[in-house]
Amino acid sequence: MALDASSALAEASTPLVRNAHRLDGDVFTMLAAIAAALCATPAIAVFALSLRPGEATAFGGALLRDGAFGTLALTLLGGGGALVLGATAACLVSLCRFPGRRVFEWLLVVPLAAPSYILAYAYGAATWAGAAPLAVQGFWGAAFVYAIGLYPYVYIAMLAAFSSQYSCALEAARTLGARPLDVFWRVALPLARPGLAAGGALAMMEIAADYGAAHHFGVTTLSTAVFRAWYAHGDLRGALQIASILLLAALVFLWFERRARGRAAYVGRSTRLSAPNRYILNPTASVGAFLFCASLILFGAILPLAWLARLALLHGNVEDIAGPLANSLILASAGALGTLALASVIAVIGRRGGALGRSASYAAGLGYAVPGAVIAMGALGAFTLLREAGIVGGLSSGIALSALLWAYAARFSAAGVQPIDAGLSRLAKGLDDSARTLGAGAWRRFTRIDLPISAPSLAAATLILFVEILKELPATLILRPFDFDTLAVRAYSYASDERLLEAAAPALLIFAAGLAPIVLLARGIARLRAGERHP
Amino acid sequence: MSAISLRNVRRAYGDAFALDDVTFTADAGQVLALLGSSGSGKSTILRLIAGLEPVDAGEIRVEGELASRPGWSTPAEARRIGMVFQDYALFPHLTAAANVAFGLQNTTRAERESTALAWLDRVGLGMRSNAYPHELSGGEQQRVALARALAPAPRAILLDEPFSGLDPVLRAELRDATLTTLAETKTTTLFVTHDAEDALQAAEKLVILKAGRVLQEAAPREAYDRPASIEVAAALGPINLSEGRVEGGVVNTPFGPAPAQHLTNGASARIAVRAEAIRLSPGAGARVLSVRPHGAHDLVKIEAGGAIWRALVPPRTTLGETASVTLHSDGVFAFSA
Repeated sequence: MALDASSALAEASTPLVRNAHRLDGDVFTMLAAIAAALCATPAIAVFALSLRPGEATAFGGALLRDGAFGTLALTLLGGGGALVLGATAACLVSLCRFPGRRVFEWLLVVPLAAPSYILAYAYGAATWAGAAPLAVQGFWGAAFVYAIGLYPYVYIAMLAAFSSQYSCALEAARTLGARPLDVFWRVALPLARPGLAAGGALAMMEIAADYGAAHHFGVTTLSTAVFRAWYAHGDLRGALQIASILLLAALVFLWFERRARGRAAYVGRSTRLSAPNRYILNPTASVGAFLFCASLILFGAILPLAWLARLALLHGNVEDIAGPLANSLILASAGALGTLALASVIAVIGRRGGALGRSASYAAGLGYAVPGAVIAMGALGAFTLLREAGIVGGLSSGIALSALLWAYAARFSAAGVQPIDAGLSRLAKGLDDSARTLGAGAWRRFTRIDLPISAPSLAAATLILFVEILKELPATLILRPFDFDTLAVRAYSYASDERLLEAAAPALLIFAAGLAPIVLLARGIARLRAGERHP
Repeated sequence: MSAISLRNVRRAYGDAFALDDVTFTADAGQVLALLGSSGSGKSTILRLIAGLEPVDAGEIRVEGELASRPGWSTPAEARRIGMVFQDYALFPHLTAAANVAFGLQNTTRAERESTALAWLDRVGLGMRSNAYPHELSGGEQQRVALARALAPAPRAILLDEPFSGLDPVLRAELRDATLTTLAETKTTTLFVTHDAEDALQAAEKLVILKAGRVLQEAAPREAYDRPASIEVAAALGPINLSEGRVEGGVVNTPFGPAPAQHLTNGASARIAVRAEAIRLSPGAGARVLSVRPHGAHDLVKIEAGGAIWRALVPPRTTLGETASVTLHSDGVFAFSA
């Protein structure tokens, strides 16, 4: 309200303009600084608190060693699998022509709808019920679930790389006499390499962050080690120490992903859109390509979804999931709106550039890379400090919920920044400047120009955030108030109790919710192709 | 024998014709310009000749050999036709030298390298051979793209708006350098442009296009002096328009009679008058509205009988408030309406 008054004053009386303008800018800068701090604090808290002196724990070393080994092995194997599957799929649909290609092009992102732990439960339940073609369990089961569930990250990154931007380079290679395989090895693959690296790093980041699937398959990773130290041994400091190692690993992946994406950015300056000339596969190869793509979708989405649906119908009951469903909806709505506010501020300040803009975007990106378990430990640690300082009382439900909402905001604001930023990029460059010459201060530019123009992307961002929060497991598990079960928590506790058949119903709901943003993604891919002149 | 010939070529995207019944030829070693505004289909023609798109009707021959007909097309990689893309399409992951060497095959590595370096030298970029495309300026990228297309000794080379992204000074310089290189190699060249000056100065033959159709195929001088239509006249330089009836072999315009001997008396006609065909001298007849410098000429706006024309006259021509107008027959064209 005070802000509105200040701009109204600024418009009404000229002598006040300069003062009001400064106030205007200051408030916005302050908001951005707060947003950045909110995103970065949990991660910083984890580092700071893990360095606090205390006695060494007996089991900490072994847990850390096993966890580090598990995380490394799974990221390499699961991530490697995702890399191979995603890259092959992207090459096939981008460079070749075979029956079903156009449908596969967007259908191949669908496995992204289910978080790894839901896929794990689906395979677990199917194995239990004897429906899975082979037993998916243990370390290899985890690696398989990661590969089949996360390959779309690689696929999407490479699809963008192969999109029309590059068709010009591929055509140039052909006019220079390069044969199809030559074009692939000498031009297409090197051009797609940054996308490959970025997508791979993203998939590995997800694997390192995952808690539910690793826990289900009984693999000790850094994420599960955080939980074990905290719950089984009640050792907050040990948990924080493991979390800080996990955080370091996540930062390495983040750095790698940023670097790869930066490289990809200068590539493909072509603005012309023309349909890539796809190579026509011979009948045998066509069948192979079709089967490959079809089995990715079958094992990544259709079969798990079908199993869950069948088991949910057989074993689910409404009373059992009504409460968690309501809790999930409330939490996801509140979390999405709060995170959206944070993300909008960060997106706008990021676009304006400057040191604050860069650090705000970086803080948000940092939060996204940090595993949910680490964020939660950070939030928990920060609240513990506040309690020690006597600023807040015990961990009441209210405080736990606000800690949880904070954790969501810190973890997911980058997921919201991305679509909002895409919306803002539609703003012509001169718009901000012309608003400035018309006397609009930062706040007025934000509310009168930036927000209205990015309204559609705000809607998309809200949906994405809602679903991300609905799917989130580890932070919710750590920070939820006692007896406050969400769908994810309910599915998790059933699965932990080896009651996989009963886990099917909440898992199915999460899977179904996850499909909504995938529709957006698929539409985005369709739009990527819409500029092409010819099939 | 013609190096490249198109006969009744048609290309459609869905229901819309991008090219309709396009026929023209380029002789060996000739520099041919495809001139037209955006959407005239000129870039599509290059893509068809390169073999990047199929034809829907008609045929394309390269050195007499059939390259494209409906349902059949020699693949681009087997055509040996070089192309310089509008945004150059340099391979961003390869150095300038590696870009140029890309199309050189069936030789040793050392030979490829030395050939690539020789080409870079030739376009004046010998010192930049290890630079990556994003480290090169726009003009440098264009020269690398040219060297890359010429290095494999193609049967013809296609340039898509080769000078469009460059500032005017650099543009003229690069145009001359490019033409010199092409002339030295005696490579048949087709280039696409929407700039009449580029086309007139660089080409030995013009093919003027509009909405996917060929308006005229002629040498620059001929097209300029004897345009086949008002559109062609307008495409090659600023003109003034008028309409009227032919009476006694002339059409009367507000600024004086325009010769139209080839049209029958009494027929209605459209007249195009080139801006530089208007001569102004002290006297009456037209009001002088404004005089502005315009490159080597002065641009004068004149008014008579409600019509406003633009004239290009030698600079610093002394003019009062009125002037007497004569139309020089070389730049006056009459077409039946």
